[in-house]
Amino acid sequence: MSANAARITISGLGKSYGSLNVFRDINLQVGDIEIVSILGPSGCGKTTLLRAIDGLLPYDEGEVRIEGQLVREPLPGVAMVFQHFGLFPWKTVARNVAYGLELARAPKAEIREKVPYFIELVGLKGFEDCYPYELSGGMQQRCGFARALATEPNVLLMDEPFGAIDAQTREILQFELLRIWNMRRTSMVFVTHSIEEAVLMGDRVIILKGRPSTISDVIAIDLPRPRSRETLQSPRFAQLREQVWATLVDDVKRAEFVLNPA
Amino acid sequence: MNALMSHRWSQVLLSIFTGLMIWEIAGWQFNSAFFAPVLGSDTPFANAIAQWIAGLFGKTIAEPHPGTVPKLISMLAAADMREAFWEVAGEQGWIAGVQRAVEASTLLKAVSESIMLFITGLALALLIGLFLGMAMARLPNLRIALEHYILALYSTPMAALIPFILAIFGFEFWPKVLVVFLFALFPILYNTLEGARSLKPEYVEVSKAFRSSEWRLWTDIIIPYTLPFGLTGLRQGIARALVGMVASEILLNPAGIGDVLVSRSQAFDMAGVLAAITIVTVLGATLMASVRGFENRYVKWRNAVR
Amino acid sequence: MSAMAVTSSSTPLAAFLRRPAVLKIGTGLALLLLWEVTVRLFGAPFVVRPSGVFAAMPAALGDAKLWAMAWSSLSAVFLGLVISLIIGTVIGVAMGRVPWVNRVSELWVNSFYTMPMVAILPLLTMWFGFTETARFAIIVFAALFSIIINVADGVRSVPREYIEVAQSFRARRSDIWFGISLLASVPYLIAGIRLAVGRALVGTVLAEIYASVEGVGYFILVNARSLEQNTAMCAVLILAAFGIAVDAMMGFTLKRWFPWYRREGRQ
Repeated sequence: MSANAARITISGLGKSYGSLNVFRDINLQVGDIEIVSILGPSGCGKTTLLRAIDGLLPYDEGEVRIEGQLVREPLPGVAMVFQHFGLFPWKTVARNVAYGLELARAPKAEIREKVPYFIELVGLKGFEDCYPYELSGGMQQRCGFARALATEPNVLLMDEPFGAIDAQTREILQFELLRIWNMRRTSMVFVTHSIEEAVLMGDRVIILKGRPSTISDVIAIDLPRPRSRETLQSPRFAQLREQVWATLVDDVKRAEFVLNPA
Repeated sequence: MNALMSHRWSQVLLSIFTGLMIWEIAGWQFNSAFFAPVLGSDTPFANAIAQWIAGLFGKTIAEPHPGTVPKLISMLAAADMREAFWEVAGEQGWIAGVQRAVEASTLLKAVSESIMLFITGLALALLIGLFLGMAMARLPNLRIALEHYILALYSTPMAALIPFILAIFGFEFWPKVLVVFLFALFPILYNTLEGARSLKPEYVEVSKAFRSSEWRLWTDIIIPYTLPFGLTGLRQGIARALVGMVASEILLNPAGIGDVLVSRSQAFDMAGVLAAITIVTVLGATLMASVRGFENRYVKWRNAVR
Repeated sequence: MSAMAVTSSSTPLAAFLRRPAVLKIGTGLALLLLWEVTVRLFGAPFVVRPSGVFAAMPAALGDAKLWAMAWSSLSAVFLGLVISLIIGTVIGVAMGRVPWVNRVSELWVNSFYTMPMVAILPLLTMWFGFTETARFAIIVFAALFSIIINVADGVRSVPREYIEVAQSFRARRSDIWFGISLLASVPYLIAGIRLAVGRALVGTVLAEIYASVEGVGYFILVNARSLEQNTAMCAVLILAAFGIAVDAMMGFTLKRWFPWYRREGRQ
């Protein structure tokens, strides 16, 4: 993996809710062509961290810079995909996908061109005039992708995008996402609580643990790209997965010991 | 498919027919101050049948039983209307002609007065109710501040305020509008409040993430989301506003349909009373159906979200 | 720059003002103040105002006549509701379970529901005169159709999933009927009762004003007319309290015994 320039720079980031310190001392750089997986147990604040990076939530210490610009609110060129999909039920697929473009005041001709392109890209061709309630969860998230991609962002933030989707569809969508990312490689931060997903998607896996959470480990994933189902079978994948598991589970074992000293 | 459609329609017709039959038969049993049939003795057809049925039992029907529908038509004063129209239309154009025709008909004049009152009050209630409701959706603190008061006022009979309005503001047009307004406002507010409460923060989060302007937040999210709740509120508001309309016409200065109701009842003209009741019910039913139609056409996505 | 830039801090005063209790009570006081000021500036001395109501309250609440009238109205409402409940549930269940009953009567039930109750007041006074019977009749009329429609809806819309589950556990017909159908329709019934009470109260007041029947509405009319508006408002508060109490009771019952219920009845 060639060294690439840092697009996202996070230094000394910390956030608290009142007296509860959610995470602290987060230092991370994300390259301009890189997928970084953020992995951690439930409640470790990874979702909060992602929102802080996006500028949706204020942070209390440190700073986040994207392409040199300080983040205090969502910046253009950054797009987010949500676990809850966040599609507007009263808009059709096409209108939902066009949302970001409309807000950016893109000319109508541009919208007319781009929307069908991205709808087809995510595999929703033919469903342009459907409403979200008519689509399955997987299809709704595809729409969510299209909406984020339509603005052609340099940074994609994924908040457990497959968390609300059934296992089979999840597998399909993981490879879909990799395929799409491959067509226009840029920066992506992928939050998940699944070890397999973190290893499959990322160039690096950032492990967030502790109370308050900090980055406890960074594991480089040297699996070749483009990744496919074969990658899942490879022995290197299994090794990396075990490595990540061992690092994560450390905490759990210790906690078990504390709870059952006998 | 066609067979199925006619099946359902024929059931609706059967139901209408059965009800009308029961009404007709009941009407012939009582004197004209107590109840009136649909068609009655003014209609040769119905009269003949009724006499024939009475004849089967060896009786005759002596007194007249004025029917509701003939009464409706006579209140409409169709012939006078036509005369009045043609009198004026020639010189002053047909809009003036229509106005004169409406005035010549007691019924139409009453209905148009009532509708004016109704629409004014309802429109004001809708304006304020929808706007306030949407503001509560956008500003949770506003919602928290107001919600219990709205709930309380929703459960309070606005009719109890009529004596105050009468004493303070009088009994002309605008006090009546106030009555209709108060009757209609709280159902609308109550339902848009429901919408405001249920607005998912996720939607606002998405708009933030895509850097939406305030204006777009309203047009993309707040308004489309709360609109269906507003429509439910509108339906309830229409029902209550009708009550307010008739109540203010009866209890404040007599006018419109309320006046027709009272004057017919004072003359012991049951057919007239029933005719007026029918008109106002048909008005209400039409309005409700229109709102439902609008809902089904434009707000299909609602069913999925609930 | 988007309209929703993130701000992180707030002053202690702002935080205090944002507390729900403060918002609610503060708004209430502000509204009362607005009312008082507006009336003092623009209204005649007899116009009702918060300070006047407050002053009149001890005398009003001590007035046996008022309580007698309140009892007259509210007991009529209660009785009327009970009758409507009984008749309405029977008809509603029939409509919900027997398709042809539903088809024949649906149109008429809906028409009577849409009919503004005040429109039948002249009719009722023609039949019963200016008496308490007329008032009782309108209470029943106002309440009955809410109950019928909501009960019918409730009986009709027992989710099939529940019945499927019961059947897969080999439940008997009666188990399904009483264990599921009935239970599943009670929330609808409660929604119907809430609506019916509101309508019944309106009907009572209108009947009393129109037909000069002694009750709360009549009390309000007489007092408002004779410039005792503050006293009259005390009576309005009694009505409001009753309406709110019943609504709250129904809401509480719903939450306590049927916490799983999501939907409101038809309105």
